[in-house]
Parts: sequence; structure tokens; C-alpha cells
Amino acid sequence: MQGKRRGIKSYIGEILMLGICAIFFIPFYYLIVNTFKEARAATISPMSLPIKSFTLDLYKKAFDTINFWSSFRNSLLITVISVTIIIVFGSMAAYVINRHKNKLTKFLFIYFLIGFMVPAQTTLIPLFNMMSIFKLQNSVLGMIVLYSSWCNFAIFMYQGFLGGVPRDLEEAARIDGAGLWKMFWHIVFPLLKSVTITIIIFDVMWIWNDFMMPYLFISSSSKFTLVMEVYKSVGEHASNWTVMLCTIVIVLVPITIFYLFMQKHIIAGITSGAIKG
Amino acid sequence: MKLKIKKELPYLLFVLPAFLVYTVLTMIPLLQTMGLAFTNWDGYSLRNLKFVGFDNFKNLFSDRSMKSSLINTCFYSLIFPVLATLFAIPLSLALNSKMKTRNLQRAVFFFPSVPSAMILGYLWAYILAPTSNGLLNKFLGIFGIDPVLWLAIPKWAMFSVMMVNLWSAVGWHACIYLAQLQSIPAEYYEAATVDGASSWQRFRYITFPMLSSAMTVSVMLLLLTSMKLFDLPFALTSGGPGTSTTMISHIIIKTGFVEKSYGKAMAMSVIFFIFIALVSILQLRLMKKREVE
Repeated sequence: MQGKRRGIKSYIGEILMLGICAIFFIPFYYLIVNTFKEARAATISPMSLPIKSFTLDLYKKAFDTINFWSSFRNSLLITVISVTIIIVFGSMAAYVINRHKNKLTKFLFIYFLIGFMVPAQTTLIPLFNMMSIFKLQNSVLGMIVLYSSWCNFAIFMYQGFLGGVPRDLEEAARIDGAGLWKMFWHIVFPLLKSVTITIIIFDVMWIWNDFMMPYLFISSSSKFTLVMEVYKSVGEHASNWTVMLCTIVIVLVPITIFYLFMQKHIIAGITSGAIKG
Repeated sequence: MKLKIKKELPYLLFVLPAFLVYTVLTMIPLLQTMGLAFTNWDGYSLRNLKFVGFDNFKNLFSDRSMKSSLINTCFYSLIFPVLATLFAIPLSLALNSKMKTRNLQRAVFFFPSVPSAMILGYLWAYILAPTSNGLLNKFLGIFGIDPVLWLAIPKWAMFSVMMVNLWSAVGWHACIYLAQLQSIPAEYYEAATVDGASSWQRFRYITFPMLSSAMTVSVMLLLLTSMKLFDLPFALTSGGPGTSTTMISHIIIKTGFVEKSYGKAMAMSVIFFIFIALVSILQLRLMKKREVE
């Protein structure tokens, strides 16, 4: 009897939660549904399904006005290369800081920690000046260089994780006469796989979604990232808001695919970060 | 001596790349900002550089939009972390239940933190619009409520930024709590139930204290992101109406890159840095104290 009553109670709870989920999802429903309607039809009934006035022309229009493939390539290049650099530089530095403790490495750890307190905005003006001196302004390479300096987050995460990795294997390799470089990449780095995935996920999401850096450092549209395409389109499609919504959907496709593939790791990653933090 | 250097060299080379990019692109610009904030730097050359003392800071405090952005950021970073925590903890409790659809629920609540905040800002600008495509006003209209100018009245504009930010961040922060919830041993609850504890008592004396380390992480993240908030108000309200949703990070970019008043922008940056550093140090202190206890 009691079990049955509890069953009904949890059933109600589940329906309630699904209702809240539905409300939570409305903005995305609104976004998608209206991309298949002409602006006028969408304005009259923004919540209706696009049955009477179904059209795919808007996607065509949106696709024609943005430089999807060029911007996608830029976003991809910037994200993949800078995240790779962050992983390589960050893991190496963290390894030395964790395993080779002396006054210098202790100082370095604090030195890298200070970076968390430095908001990007405080360094922007001198950085802008520096980038133009080195002719790295308005270039994909420049963006990669800029994002690579975000390696302190990776150092922090790796440093924490390394504390729980046993040293036996490294010592065995040392005795066998392996150098630091070989030992690190062949023996230690493979053990860091789970934290590496977490760092990759966080950094991919930050860098791919970042707007401030390309907004300030990129001026020509051939160097735009995907997020910049949305910013540019706002002015162009001011009168035709459903085309603008199409642009948003198109731009969201790659990161959504990334999310769907990595979903399990993302939630697990946040979890592991929280427990260690 | 020579031998020692030879032994240390590989280790130094391992740290060197990270040290170089970080120093050149973060620490040197930071020091430059700190130094140049006290000069009349024109943004291009270091010739004709003159030390002007606290002039830039004085100009700053006589500028009304600067003052209001400082107040906005303080207000936002006081209110938003509390608000988000009040929603994230109950959400994590709900998501921790044994419902059949819980994975779907987690995915839905988490999804708004996937797209760039800038894009979400533009999307919500349509939803909050006073015109007939504005979904929220249309919905309120069903109940006979007159359209609210969500983005055109200062207090509602600030409310809207917070609401959209809450919608996009709450799932992420619920995940942080969720992890910790799953690590609480079930025996604690069993024992409490045997002792006749009510469900509120179980939350108050078991769940809540056990969530403390997740809370430190979550609140710290919320504080930092609130203080640095830029993309969302930029897209949603462009800082308006007037300066009612202009944040510090926005005003630094506006004065530095649009108006090209470098001195003022850098003076603001220095204040911003001190502000964030103080809050982080305070937070770290509290964290240490808690761990000791």
C-alpha cells in the first residue's frame, strides 16, 4: 500500500519536472520553429508549428549572407590548435610543478595562480598594442597565440590530478634510463587521460564561444569566427528577424554536435572538477 | 654547480613554454596597465610619456557612467550568485532523484550553458521584445497583463539580464552540486530516518553541510563570472537603457577601444583588478578556514 502511494507521488514529481523542462526549453523551441516561417507569419503566431507557412528559403538566405565555411574553418583552426597548445604546455609545466618540488616550482605555481585573478579586460589595451607591434592583430594565428595564454587553468587542473597519480612507473622508467621527455609522454601523459578530456571540454567551450577576443582583435570578415557571424548578422537582418534566427541555428549546430557527443564526459568533468576544487 | 644546472635544465625546459606565453600575454600586459594608468599614454608610442599621478583616477570618478558601471557590477555580483545558488541546489536535489527521465532532464537543464552567451542574448532580445513577436509579453497578455518594456526600463533591464543568465547557468551549477550529492553515503539518511528526522531536517543537517565544498566552487565561479560579465548584457541590452546594465568590463572596452580614452580605461582596469583580487583572496581565505574546520 505504502509502496503504491510513493509510486504515485514520484510519478507526479516526474511529470512536474518534465513540465519545468518543457518551460526551460521554450526559448529553443521558439528559435527553431520560427526559422521555417516568413517574418510576418512568425510575428503573428510565434509559437505555432510551421505547417501553413512552411519555408526553407530563410535558411538559404541566412546561409548566403554568412561565410559559414570560412568562419567554421577559422573557429575550428583556432580552437583545435590553441587547445592542443594549452594541453601540451599545461601538462608539462604542471608535471614539473608537482613532481620536482623546490623553491622555484613553488613560486611558479603561485605565479600561475595569480592569472585567475587577472580578468582579460585589464590586460586588453597593452595586449592590443603588443599584437599590432607583432602584426598578429586581425589574424587567425594571433587568436591562437592569445588563447594559448589561458594555459593556467590546465596547469591548475593537471597539478591537482597529478597528486593522485602514483610515481612507481616513473621511477622504474628512470632506472631504465629514460629521459624526462620520453618518460613524460610515454608513461605519465597516458595516465592523465580523464583530466585531459575535462580540460579539453572546458577550453573548447570557452574558446569556441568566446566573443570578446574576436570582437576586439579581428576586423576583416574573412578572419571571422562563427560567433562573430551572429554579431555581424544582427545589423544586416534587423528587418527580417527570422533570417537572423536561422543564422543563430546554423551557428549553433557545431557546438551542439560537440555537446551531444561529449555529454557524458561534460557532466562527469564538471563533477570531478568540483570534488577536487 | 655546472652539474646541478645540467640536472635541472630538462625540468626548466618543461616549464618554459607555459611560462613564456603566460608571462608575455598576461603578466606583462597587466604590469603595463598598472604602470600606464598613471601616465598620459596615447595608445601608440612610448615617446612623450608623462607621469600624471592620479589624474586618470580622478577623471574616472567624475564620470557618471563609470560610477554607475561600478555600482552595477557590485550589485550584480552580490545578487546573482545568491540567486543562482538558491535555484541550483533545489534543482540538483530534483535531478538526483531516481526518475526514469532523469538523464533527459539533466541534458535539458544543462543545454543552455552550451551556446555562447552572446548568441543567447540576441535570442532573448526577441523573446522579451515589446512587439508582437515578443513571446513573454504575449504570454502575459493572456492573463490581461499589459506588455512590459523588459529591456527599456532600467530596473526591468537589470532583471532581464539576471533572468537570462540564471536560465543559462543554473543547470551547470546544479551539476556541480549533483556530483557532491551522489557522494553522500546513503547510511546517513537511513540513520536519520530511523531517528525520526523530517525531510527538512535531513536536508538541513545532512545534505546542506555535505554540500559545502561544492558550494565553495560554485559560488567562486559565479562570483568571478558575474564580475567579468560582458557578452550577455552586450547582446541583450547593449548596456542600456542609459547605463543601467553597463558592467565594468563593458565600460573598459567602450572607453578603451571605442572612445580611445586609454588613460581612463586603464585606470578602470586597475580598479577592476584590485576588486577581483580582493574578492578572490577573501574567498580563498574562507575556503581555507572551512577546510581547517
